Amino acid sequence: MDFMDSIRGMSFFDMHVHMTSRTTDDYQAMADAGVVALIEPAFWLGQPRTGVDSFRDYFASLVGWERFRASQFGIRHYCTIGLNSKEANQEELAEQVMEILPLFIYKEGVVGVGEIGFDDQTPAEDKYYRAQLELAREAGLPVQIHTPHRDKKQGTSRSMDIAIEHGIDPGMVIVDHNNEETVREVLDRGFWAGFTIYPFTKMGNERMVEVVKQYGPERIMINSAADWGISDPLAVPKTAALMKQRGISDEAIKLVTFTNAVTAFAQSGQLSLEELTQPMGIDQSQRYNGSSVLRGGQAPRVDKDSTIIK
Amino acid sequence: MNILSMSQTLFYLIEQQPNSEKAVTYLRQQADAFSSNPQVAVFYRVFTALPRFVGKQPVVVPADIQFALQRVRPGLTVQDWTLDRLARVWWLLQLPADDQITYVKTISELFKAGELNELVALYSALPVLAYPEAWKFQATEGIRNNIADVQSAIMLHNPYPADYFDEPAWNQLIMKAFFTDKDVTQIIGLNERNNARLAKTLTDFAAERRAAGRSLPAHMEELM
Repeated sequence: MDFMDSIRGMSFFDMHVHMTSRTTDDYQAMADAGVVALIEPAFWLGQPRTGVDSFRDYFASLVGWERFRASQFGIRHYCTIGLNSKEANQEELAEQVMEILPLFIYKEGVVGVGEIGFDDQTPAEDKYYRAQLELAREAGLPVQIHTPHRDKKQGTSRSMDIAIEHGIDPGMVIVDHNNEETVREVLDRGFWAGFTIYPFTKMGNERMVEVVKQYGPERIMINSAADWGISDPLAVPKTAALMKQRGISDEAIKLVTFTNAVTAFAQSGQLSLEELTQPMGIDQSQRYNGSSVLRGGQAPRVDKDSTIIK
Repeated sequence: MNILSMSQTLFYLIEQQPNSEKAVTYLRQQADAFSSNPQVAVFYRVFTALPRFVGKQPVVVPADIQFALQRVRPGLTVQDWTLDRLARVWWLLQLPADDQITYVKTISELFKAGELNELVALYSALPVLAYPEAWKFQATEGIRNNIADVQSAIMLHNPYPADYFDEPAWNQLIMKAFFTDKDVTQIIGLNERNNARLAKTLTDFAAERRAAGRSLPAHMEELM
């Protein structure tokens, strides 16, 4: 059976996906599969940046161009803004990025500081992780934590220790890229636990089903983290379909694929359940001149099965 | 244009909006604080954070205020604006304009880091900013922008291009409006600024459309 059949009518919130690295086909497919909103955390683009203006333009694109691009497919685009851990190691540049971050974190649609945390767990990463926790605390914004690939379990504990040391309420922190080895501690300590369904390197969705069966749906949320690597922008709807197939209740599925992420990031004051359940074309806050997105801006559909291109 | 009169008229309009007491109080406080201690960081912060305090309801424009706006700045209309957009344009008028270099640099930085709705407000403000000649290049950047709302903010219901664009920039605006499916009847100066070179370009474009088997955008033939 086509996975789309079992999830028809459901709405999804992919709370971690790097659309900058994806094509319009992905936006189209996500919209078709029920993704109504997403969060794009600021991250490493694959190519190291060498100047602060590259960061400025990237941050500006997350609150400008990319948001518009998503809207053409009827998807609401939010972002978290921060200096990623890998590039925190270029200290001279990192200093300059820290200076421009306050310009961006108060902007509309910025629902948190992220993704920040550890990669190599160097002293420089520690320094800028702490500085950005302070920034989030001052701004009253949630924090989206990237947990490291290497020395993961210890790095995850350390990220939470430091957040608490800086007086951040665990309820304001979304610890991302969890697995079976990290989830218990994250939930026990009162943090939100994000899971990335990403082939070969992070979670597989069969494992995810087992995690939800074991821990229940409270404070757990899933995402695709689709980016420039081999990844799947439909990971959230596909995992919802698999959960349904394997007997997880609709209410639980809704919590881990939509509501928990909304609840966590709504603490920014920049998104709400009410806003997400309104049809986009008539949403005044998006200010697409009432209906211009539906009339002029909505992307026309290309017939993929036809060899004729008009 | 007299900046003080414009600022007062816009503020009066904000005060006339239903349930705007909270917004009015907030804006007055910010303006007082900024005028007694004009720090750029504060100017930027208020500009960015303003929608959280004033909201986004659509603005209602009584006929007498529309008339007053037209008198202070002919061609200006704020119809279909939201309250945060109106308040942001008003806020830009609170920036001291005595030194051109500082003034232009301060506002240009806002363009560089602008989020979608901020850019809409910034381009909407061009007809009422000080040193109008200084914004010509920035205005053409708005035409080059790829975000529909930003394009509309400079192309439609905005008197700045008709007043300050030279012929090549004007013709780009019209062509870009057709290419991006805008309702060109909302462009101020559409007929007054029409010219022989534009008519020729449009005629070539019409031929190209026909060759591709595509229809012509509405109202194009009237300019040819």
